[in-house]
Amino acid sequence: MAKTILVVDDSASIRQVVSIALKGAGYEVITANDGQDALKKLDGHKIHLIVTDVNMPVMDGIAFVREAKKLPDYKFTPFIMLTTESQPEKKAEGKEAGAKAWIVKPFQPPQLLDAVSRLISP
Amino acid sequence: MAEHCEKIVGEFSIYTAAALKPKLLEALAAASALSLDLSGVTEIDSAGIQLLLLLKRETLKSGSELRLTGSNPVVDEALALCNLTGLFNPES
Amino acid sequence: MDELEQAKQTFVSEAQDLLRDMESGLMQIEAEPDDAENINAVFRAAHTIKGSAGLFGLAHIVSFTHVVETVLERIRSGKLPPSGDLIALLLECRDHIESLIELLTRGIETPDADTEQRAEALRTQLLGFLDGEGGAETAKAHAPASVLEHDVAESQVPDGQYLVRSRYWHISLRFGEGVLRNGMEPLSFIRYLKKLGEIVHISTLYDAMPPAASMDPESCYLGFEIVFDSAATKPDIERVFEFVEDDCQIRIIPPHSEVTRFRELIEALPEADLKVGEILLKSGALTEQELEAALHNQVVAENQADVPQLPVKRLGEILVEQGVVHAETVRSALDKQDKVQANKLKESKSIRIDADRLDDLINLMGELVIGSAAATLMARKHDLIDVLEAVSSISRLIEDIHDRSLRLRMVQIADTFNRFRRVVRDISREIGKDIDLIIDGGETELDKSVVEKIGDPLTHLVRNAIDHGIENAETRALLGKPANGQIRLNAYHESGSIIIEVSDDGGGIDADKVLAKALANGLVAPTQTLTEKEIFQLIFEPGLSTAEKVSNLSGRGVGMDVVKRNVIALRGTVEVTSELGAGTTVTIRLPLTLSIIDGFLVMVGDSSYVLPLDSVVECVEFTEESRHGHEGNYVAWHEHVLSFVDLRELFKEKGPKAARQTIVVVQGGGQKIGLVVDQFLGEFQTVIKPLNKLFEKLHCVSGSTILGSGEVALILDVLAMTRLVETRVEAE
Repeated sequence: MAKTILVVDDSASIRQVVSIALKGAGYEVITANDGQDALKKLDGHKIHLIVTDVNMPVMDGIAFVREAKKLPDYKFTPFIMLTTESQPEKKAEGKEAGAKAWIVKPFQPPQLLDAVSRLISP
Repeated sequence: MAEHCEKIVGEFSIYTAAALKPKLLEALAAASALSLDLSGVTEIDSAGIQLLLLLKRETLKSGSELRLTGSNPVVDEALALCNLTGLFNPES
Repeated sequence: MDELEQAKQTFVSEAQDLLRDMESGLMQIEAEPDDAENINAVFRAAHTIKGSAGLFGLAHIVSFTHVVETVLERIRSGKLPPSGDLIALLLECRDHIESLIELLTRGIETPDADTEQRAEALRTQLLGFLDGEGGAETAKAHAPASVLEHDVAESQVPDGQYLVRSRYWHISLRFGEGVLRNGMEPLSFIRYLKKLGEIVHISTLYDAMPPAASMDPESCYLGFEIVFDSAATKPDIERVFEFVEDDCQIRIIPPHSEVTRFRELIEALPEADLKVGEILLKSGALTEQELEAALHNQVVAENQADVPQLPVKRLGEILVEQGVVHAETVRSALDKQDKVQANKLKESKSIRIDADRLDDLINLMGELVIGSAAATLMARKHDLIDVLEAVSSISRLIEDIHDRSLRLRMVQIADTFNRFRRVVRDISREIGKDIDLIIDGGETELDKSVVEKIGDPLTHLVRNAIDHGIENAETRALLGKPANGQIRLNAYHESGSIIIEVSDDGGGIDADKVLAKALANGLVAPTQTLTEKEIFQLIFEPGLSTAEKVSNLSGRGVGMDVVKRNVIALRGTVEVTSELGAGTTVTIRLPLTLSIIDGFLVMVGDSSYVLPLDSVVECVEFTEESRHGHEGNYVAWHEHVLSFVDLRELFKEKGPKAARQTIVVVQGGGQKIGLVVDQFLGEFQTVIKPLNKLFEKLHCVSGSTILGSGEVALILDVLAMTRLVETRVEAE
């Protein structure tokens, strides 16, 4: 059974490309526009991995990680943060919140798949 | 004491480990041998492997026996990856 | 179109939006340098463009935007003051990104040499700003920096050291207790490791697991000793585990390392030395002899203090330190985030809809409005009171929906106006005039289709004002005017139209000069006498420019005539008023929407006409006896004298004349006139159909509509009618 990944980013183009790449690698993909939207999608069905942008309107990635970690069904779900090297403090903050993996933006699909496959197997 | 049979269905992972640990330890304590059917396992991770290792260690202490039954490629792959196949299947 | 191509289009329109935000945001920084949320929004725009571009492999956009982002981050964190020069440069950079995106829309993904050169020049300037405070290094590297640096000391083998024979890497892993809870799965990392090479041998250790009673099944107690055959470099292998480097002990010993490395390993590992030794031996990492050497410290490392610690650990420490350093920053950032949350909510509440779909909806609404009007007419005609009641409540609802659906197309003019902050700023810098732009009525709404077409005429008017309107500083000083020139953009609604004014406090238009030029160009005959207003209107004629010096700004041959043509195409009008020495105001009057009006239905003979409802002031009875004045073209109205137009005469209507006629008082262009009709039927929602070719030449008609009965009604152009009356009065 294919594993499911939730992709959270406020950029529609990033969501699209990331979805294409992950689906191509055999994952199921769900997308959300921001942290709040993403929380709505955490409705009990199995999600194996969450890829989330950090800097987003409404609810940023770090607040989202904190909230998601409170949900019993998702408290052990691995997170990949999409960070930027110009905001190193965000990475530390995200790690503290429980998102231990990250990719530095800008990235190419292979980099993402690389990070994903270190955390879960297809 | 006869052999006790347990079957694990679904995820054998961090999400289920906390519930499975007491259940499996009890089952092991209740019998001289525990036969664990893993054919229904859909996913196994380090937490699952660890529980198996815990049970194995308990059997070594108490002289009881742990047998894994029910072939399951998911479980086999994980055990092989950790080079633990031999530990759990002494005859193979 | 394949999915990726589609995603790329999303990227382009997303980037264009972001660039617009970035532009207004940058201007805003200049005005309010302390608006942290604004600066963050600009930063986020650059950041998102870079991120998305990276996904599409658009390296040139990434590398350029990266430097911009870095500079913005410095501004954001308060390390770099946003000076006027820096903002100007960032605006230029924004323009460059825009041009790169523009190239993309034409399918060009590799910029030409010129573009590259421009990018390089801008980049150098940006780096100049960074150099000042030592931030240049961060900006130079744009590939994701390897977090783990290669340990140089390691590759140098001290003389006389005892090297192990194994050609394999040795990887020792002890996962921290928290990894599973963090979603990090040791098995996945090991599976991934197999992509870099072959696992020759792996031993799973679980000695760290406490007794059954105290063993926490959600904690991780696992360790692995791996013999690994790979051509990968050490950083490559380290990178596999970078996500767990904080919580784990990771030791990587390259092939043919000194035996001392293994001795350190054995000593460092929590398991008994002999057990570890045995594992190393069994796995083939060490020979028996090597193990002996390692265990019994036979090789004396003289420079033990220099033996490099494993870099992984060092990094962990650094990160911990960073964590401490940033704890405060983190907290204040969080506080701030809470505050801006409310603002951001607003941001997210819009969705992007294809304009065509909206048009479809509005067209359907139009049909519905006509249908409902038909039902009302029918019910009225047959005097079905109960049906009329039902129908009128339905039509009220339809009106509501209709209003709202139209509002979907309405956008505030603020976005259009705000674009001019940039225009004014850039041009006034260029020509050395200090000009303030004042924007009023930005919240005034108008139809998107109108807004799209009004940009060009406005640009021309604003440029004109800057270039020809506002005097240079010396002249202003002589005249005792404030040093800064002022341009004002204003918008408001008036009688179903939107009025847009562009005014300046410059020199004004010299009517005599205009007239002289018009005479010289043969636009007016020497015998003609013109009012000042008429003379000013001449500037909209082709080939008339009053600037004595043609500058590169608005003197490019595109004149006011083009402005006028554009406005007329939108069913609008343009007028200019000016006072010599005090300034000029150009007033553009446009319909709010091009597709629908609230009408007032009247009958003349057998024909129906529609008046824009908001131009209707009052209806009064008309009798032949009430006519006054020359040719009887006036009636008394509330102590005023009102000129009127008999529609029957104007449209040569031949149908039966009502016994009691009505005068509908309408106003347009600040003037009130009366229209004589046979009957008034009241309010009527009118969907404007473009004028049939047949009616195109008709004066005083702005469009047509189809009534519920299927009959065509002309929509009257009240403004044109007031003009008609005006000329008639002047003729008298």
